[in-house]
Amino acid sequence: MTSLKRPDTPLQALDLGKAFLTDAGEELDIIRSVSFTLERGEIVSLVGPSGCGKTTLLNLLCRLIEPSQGTVLWNGRESDGVPAGVGYMLQKDLLLPWRSAIQNVMLGLQVKGGTRAAHRARAKELLDQLGLGGFADHYPSTLSGGMRQRVALARTLAPEPEVLLFDEPFSALDFQTKILIERDTLRLVREMQRSLLLITHDVEEAVSLSDRVIVLSRRPSTIVSEHRIELPGDRSNLIALRESTGFAHYVRQIWTELDVQ
Amino acid sequence: MSDRSGPSLTFNSADPRASIHQATMQDRRTAAILARRRRRMQILLCQILCFVVLIGLWQWQTATGHVSAFLYGSPSGIFAALIATIRDGSVWTDLTATALETLAGFALGNIIGTTLGLSLWYSRFISQVLQPFILALGSIPIIALAPITIIWFGTGFASKVAMSTLSVVVVSIIIAYKGAMGVDPDQINLMLSLRASRQKIFRLIVIPASMTDIFAGLKLTVGFALVGAIVGEFMSSTNGLGHEIFKAGSLYAISAVFAELVVTVILALVLSSIVTRVERWLLPWRHDLS
Ligand SMILES: Nc1ncnc2c1ncn2[C@@H]1O[C@H](COP(=O)(O)OP(=O)(O)O)[C@@H](O)[C@H]1O
Ligand SMILES: [Mg+2]
Repeated sequence: MTSLKRPDTPLQALDLGKAFLTDAGEELDIIRSVSFTLERGEIVSLVGPSGCGKTTLLNLLCRLIEPSQGTVLWNGRESDGVPAGVGYMLQKDLLLPWRSAIQNVMLGLQVKGGTRAAHRARAKELLDQLGLGGFADHYPSTLSGGMRQRVALARTLAPEPEVLLFDEPFSALDFQTKILIERDTLRLVREMQRSLLLITHDVEEAVSLSDRVIVLSRRPSTIVSEHRIELPGDRSNLIALRESTGFAHYVRQIWTELDVQ
Repeated sequence: MSDRSGPSLTFNSADPRASIHQATMQDRRTAAILARRRRRMQILLCQILCFVVLIGLWQWQTATGHVSAFLYGSPSGIFAALIATIRDGSVWTDLTATALETLAGFALGNIIGTTLGLSLWYSRFISQVLQPFILALGSIPIIALAPITIIWFGTGFASKVAMSTLSVVVVSIIIAYKGAMGVDPDQINLMLSLRASRQKIFRLIVIPASMTDIFAGLKLTVGFALVGAIVGEFMSSTNGLGHEIFKAGSLYAISAVFAELVVTVILALVLSSIVTRVERWLLPWRHDLS
């Protein structure tokens, strides 16, 4: 067991399992046994059918819920409570309607502490990088879905978390908006050298963004397979990437694994 | 706004298309405001029409003697009674008395209620323990408490404030608690993922998120506070609008009753418009929602 504790690996899931107690008093097995790692600077996607327990798995990883079995290691250590340095982003933007865009971006910084001026400067910088500099003082209700999710992305990145845990963050967006925000996410994550665990049911998104794709089975979920994505050319050109032959191959392969079980 | 504008808002904010985008948004906004204003005028016009027709019918029927002005009062009689109370200045003392009782009860009831209701968010256990007691208290008709408040607080200002506070406090607790518990659990999870303390979550999320509900509660309870004060005045009092209504009623001065009611309604409208104004001022982000 001790040999498994790797202090240089941001995130390790070891034999994780979760069963919920239903209202009828029965144990409902959601996750059977899942083990994987997320290395420093790596982008890993978890794909699986809807309802297979992806969100549950994410909540297990950041200790929002307790596992029924197994361990989660953050930099080789078990953390009691939510570990430090986690950036958590969901499909819902969760912007606070009473705060302007920039104030929303400042939320995580405010929780950490520090001066307001520094928070504001950092938030403005991120909004500028995401092309929302002109909308800093707009309330969320006046922004489009894509813009709101960009603000949510800025809020997630602002405290400079070491590990990003994203739960289908782009799945509610239309294709064009999605590609643009995916491209910006990819650029920022690579620039800042963060590790990203991306949960998605969109196989093409997983293949185009990730270094590795892990496929989960139906409930109770286990790992079906793992693919290291090696594609030629510029990985940041998400449209061109989708046209390469390798890409189609991975997508077809993963689709098969998702369906035939 | 649509996501089609997506390409214009990536990377650099100096992109001229972004400002064009803002300009068309501004135009659309102005058009919408104009349309809304026109509609508001139409509604106001219809409301005035309804009022005039109703008053006209009433005056006509009582003037011709089809309806007894003694039993039902008449618009001209009400007007005369109003002028009389304004002339002798009694309306001002009564109005001030009732307004102060109402405001004191409203403030006290909502401060106690909101504080209790919000702090119940901290402990699910305590809130579940207290639930039946709160509901029981809420189901008591406030008028039934009037005799006790007189025994406890005397026949003066304090007992009216007590009645007014009691009319407000339970509703205020329930609304604040519902507001606090209505916060999206994912929002709480987001805060937990940032390792925010419970106290920080309370201050940064729960309180502001409950503000919409709390203000809805304020608008509702301003009326309850007034009813409480007036019921208190019915029981025992030497002045106040409730006192005058009760006195005029026992003298069969129906027009005088209506005159005092008109003043009461004006007081209610003024108080609730103050609450609305304060809400606009404190929650500016609410304008953008509609
Ligand atoms: N607290 C809970 N109690 C009982 N069942 C739950 C709970 N949370 C999630 N589930 C169940 O676990 C399953 C997996 O949910 P989820 O992790 O949200 O799936 P996914 O994100 O892959 O769509 C669902 O069938 C859901 O009903
Ligand atoms: Mg999910």
